[in-house]
Amino acid sequence: MLTTSSSSIRVEFNRNRLLQALFGWYVLFWTAMAIWPLDRPTWLLLNLLPVLFVAGLVLTSRHFPLSDMSYILITVFLTLHAIGSHYTYAKVPFGFWLQQMLDLQRNDFDRIVHFGFGFLMVYPLREVLMRAARVQGFWAYCLALNVVLAAAGLWEVIESWTARLVRPELGASFLGSQGDIWDAQKDIAAAFYGALLCIAMVVIARHVLEDESEDTANESELEAALGD
Amino acid sequence: MKTIGRISFRTNRLHQALLSWYVLLWIVLAIAPVDRKDWLLENLLAFAFVGVLAATYRMFPLSDASYVLITVFMSLHAIGAHYTYAQVPLGFWLKALLDLSRNHFDRIVHFAFGLLLAYPIREVLLRRAGVRGAWSYVLAVLAVMACSDFFEILESWVAQIVSPELGAAYLGTQGDVWDAQKDSTAASAGGVLGMLLTAAIRTSLPPRLKAAIP
Repeated sequence: MLTTSSSSIRVEFNRNRLLQALFGWYVLFWTAMAIWPLDRPTWLLLNLLPVLFVAGLVLTSRHFPLSDMSYILITVFLTLHAIGSHYTYAKVPFGFWLQQMLDLQRNDFDRIVHFGFGFLMVYPLREVLMRAARVQGFWAYCLALNVVLAAAGLWEVIESWTARLVRPELGASFLGSQGDIWDAQKDIAAAFYGALLCIAMVVIARHVLEDESEDTANESELEAALGD
Repeated sequence: MKTIGRISFRTNRLHQALLSWYVLLWIVLAIAPVDRKDWLLENLLAFAFVGVLAATYRMFPLSDASYVLITVFMSLHAIGAHYTYAQVPLGFWLKALLDLSRNHFDRIVHFAFGLLLAYPIREVLLRRAGVRGAWSYVLAVLAVMACSDFFEILESWVAQIVSPELGAAYLGTQGDVWDAQKDSTAASAGGVLGMLLTAAIRTSLPPRLKAAIP
């Protein structure tokens, strides 16, 4: 059974086929994307944080394993980022295709991944807050949204430092602003909308599941799976 | 931050003094601001914030320390709004003194936002969200960062939609493309410093007081 943020159990990696599949998929895909990136220095910069992040996930997987749902969402996000970093974001084919289809001014793949960051990461963040910080109910949603906003802002700050200090000549490409002075604000806003959408979906899903549980005999089991 | 022994506004001299100070300062600075429209824009959020504080005062009064910090921040913002931030005399004086490229009063207030408001935010998290220990400091800093980023988004909306020609003044970028990132950094640094100070003060308290103050 797929575990969610409020499930009381976690299935360890050795017996968890889903986790093995997710990990195998990401390692394979990341390696494929690492072989011939469009721009090696940009790719390296963009992959510093993901490498640290994956290392952190592996290190904490024993003592603080997340739910299957959280790991799925994180894998989707990391996969999107692997694609983006392979093409320095500004040159992702899918973005060009969208640009033509919708007559956009720029390659918006980075904006999509910022949205994806909020949409996909707010759920794992909420799980961490619920289990480690013991935050419940409304506050778990509210604080997870806060963390998404803070992280999205921190990313923009790191981007600006990198652009100015580490590799000034790489700046424009890494920053991916593509000449828009509101780029940073739009990126953060995209992450915010993504997180709001995910929260709305979780709230609705929980209401639907709770209604169904009224008709079933094993109510307590479902409640245990959903949390209060 | 103790939750016991709060007294009503009618007998609370400190709260009366804080409110009177702010109302007086705000009125004086509202009479002839440098730019009336910009002043109005800057004050929209201030109105909303004071409204929320007034509405929650009876049911959820904050600690005296929190109200003092909030009043200091609101006073700084009232001064900034009066001078459209970019023209605050103190900022010009600093610019001349330290040979800076711009009027840094807005950056100072962004820093102050983190420094002064992380404490009230932490109080709300402790009392309402049930956050405990180290998490309260971490989440207070993150909340300050989130509010600061949200403010930058609001700024960009205002600048793009409401009045593009006023945008530059309201935004106060003063021509710096990294302005938003620097503002966000200032607020984060202020928040971290505020929480370090809070933790340091709490650690130095005698055990008896520490139990009373979360």
